[in-house]
Amino acid sequence: MSVFAIGVGGTGAKCLEALTHLHTCGLLEQGGTSVRLGTFLVEPDQQSTLLARAETAIDRYQKMRRLLGSKADHFARGELRHYGTWSPLSNSSGAISLDQVFPKAILRTRASGLAALFDCLFPPEEQAADLEVGFRGRPPIGSAVMSRVSLTAEAKTGQWQQMLSDIETASGGGETPVIHLFGSVFGGTGASGVPTLGQMLKSWLKEQGLNKVKVNASLLLPYFDFEGQAREDTGVHAEARNFQLNTDAALQYLRSSGTSCFDQVYLVGSDIKARYDFSIGGRSQANGAHLVELLASLGMRHGLKADSSSHYAHVLSRAVENKISWGDIPDSEVVGEGMARAARFGVAWLNNISLELDAAQSVPMPMFLSGAPWAHHFFQPSGQASGTQAGRPSIRSSEELSLKTAIDAYVETLLQWLQQFSSNTGTGFSQELFTPELLERNSNYENALGRVVRGSARPSRDEQDDTVEAIKVQMDALSHKKISHNGMAGLADTLWSLSYCDTGL
Amino acid sequence: MRSQQGTLLGLSFVAGLFWVFVVQKWMFLNVFSGVLAGPGLPLNDYLQLANEPAFTMLWISCISALMIWLWITFRARPRNGAEVRRMKPLWWTAAVILVLLGWLYQLFFSIIIWQLQGQSPVQGSGMNFFLLPPGGWLLLTMMVMINVTLLFWLPTLLASPRTYRLVVPGAVKILGGR
Repeated sequence: MSVFAIGVGGTGAKCLEALTHLHTCGLLEQGGTSVRLGTFLVEPDQQSTLLARAETAIDRYQKMRRLLGSKADHFARGELRHYGTWSPLSNSSGAISLDQVFPKAILRTRASGLAALFDCLFPPEEQAADLEVGFRGRPPIGSAVMSRVSLTAEAKTGQWQQMLSDIETASGGGETPVIHLFGSVFGGTGASGVPTLGQMLKSWLKEQGLNKVKVNASLLLPYFDFEGQAREDTGVHAEARNFQLNTDAALQYLRSSGTSCFDQVYLVGSDIKARYDFSIGGRSQANGAHLVELLASLGMRHGLKADSSSHYAHVLSRAVENKISWGDIPDSEVVGEGMARAARFGVAWLNNISLELDAAQSVPMPMFLSGAPWAHHFFQPSGQASGTQAGRPSIRSSEELSLKTAIDAYVETLLQWLQQFSSNTGTGFSQELFTPELLERNSNYENALGRVVRGSARPSRDEQDDTVEAIKVQMDALSHKKISHNGMAGLADTLWSLSYCDTGL
Repeated sequence: MRSQQGTLLGLSFVAGLFWVFVVQKWMFLNVFSGVLAGPGLPLNDYLQLANEPAFTMLWISCISALMIWLWITFRARPRNGAEVRRMKPLWWTAAVILVLLGWLYQLFFSIIIWQLQGQSPVQGSGMNFFLLPPGGWLLLTMMVMINVTLLFWLPTLLASPRTYRLVVPGAVKILGGR
């Protein structure tokens, strides 16, 4: 089963970051089988930190998965293909402002009425605004730029080509592929891009006769405010006071024309707003991950269920006004276990096991084994630099160390994301999902796992016995038959299984 | 501690008892009597008054050290391999102390106690100590080391719990490939 996620704008990129991590948690599945996830980012602001963060998560996951190959049965088993990042300005021959995309001199010559309409719709500062930092929180600017995109032309060349070709192939292979768009309805790029792209995709699919393909969207309603204000010379910029106006307009459009864009929509927002520093875009826009983005990403999981298509719009609510807990998360039992496993694995790997493996590089292997018996399942006990013994690679082999570096890099991204969304809740609003301070990278050989996950998703072990050491002991006690793979891949795979397991594999 | 380790600990405890109080005694009487007994040394008296108390004390010391070792390793929650390996010097210290104690017990029950009491262990000999031949002392030195091996090394090897499973000398080689 193939699913294609398109993140539009900064918020869309953040949703794809969340989606990548959900894929790691094994939460994108259909009928118990992990889906093939394709990702595509749409963002005019190529310098965006949010875009870079999503790309980093995706790249690191892909690299880790490539190096893991078929040597892991449980950990990171979901396939992921990234189709790239596309800018709606890429077809505008280097234009970076609206009056360059629609050259007024030409408009005046060829259609003076249109030039007048253009002046009427867009004030001079919007016409001249540099769009390399995005559509500046103005959906009309985005809509004007997006309206020039031809998906039929893009399908023949450019970055869309491979993804659209894969959608055709998946549909032709008897699957029911799902395309899921992510973006905010209160900013600039997402508000203009998501409905426009949804409509374009629907039309293109109809033209190609691909009627089985579903187009869904997670639309994010306002969930943050800006702290601080723009300088006087900032120019056109996103303003929090416009968020509600933009949202109203988007929802009105959705009510009247939504079904022409999407088969299902997921509307997620928050009445209690997180506070982010003001930014016009680019590198300075470093908004931390937010729970709402996780919920939006879970929309895709919901869309994969066989019974999900009975309603058009899906909304969420929480049980307690000023707190969110696992019970408020859709499909909380499965999602909670998946995310708890990922968080516990991340802490155990990055803050303990990985440090142990680093320390193993500077001591003889028999000496290392005397303090780390669990390692004998995965690495050659003699510690030779090359060759294998009973199929086990050396703990110092370059291939193993490359894989370790890749896992470290990805897990660091995962923990950062978990840490951000669990600490970014907004004033007077708390969460009972994770303990943010325990999700930070440290070199203290973290042992206690009991408080990493809070609430009902926490495993039922006694807190004092819920340690990395206990997992190591469980790992050591496993019979060889229960360990399918050796080396770093086998170690990560086994740790993943034991991270949320009371009784062993 | 897993049940298998518990069983092995129990078996090694029983084997230690059997060794110290049955096998070793029998060996001193029947196998090494020629090495131990010298002119003016009644073997039965020596075994009863010096050898047995000395080895009993060593057995008590080894069992105490074993209990302390198990208590420490059971309670510890090491965060990493380096913390586990820090127990290695402690184990060696305990083993060396036990060997030294074993030798001291032999000296004490064969010589020092009689000197302190001003008595002669062998009536009519005029000597206030057991006169063991050099070969006998060498044998006792070796037997003390064998006792420490059987009564401390073996149970700690078989029953060190959790991540301490391989910290005892030789454990990586013997148990590491399990």
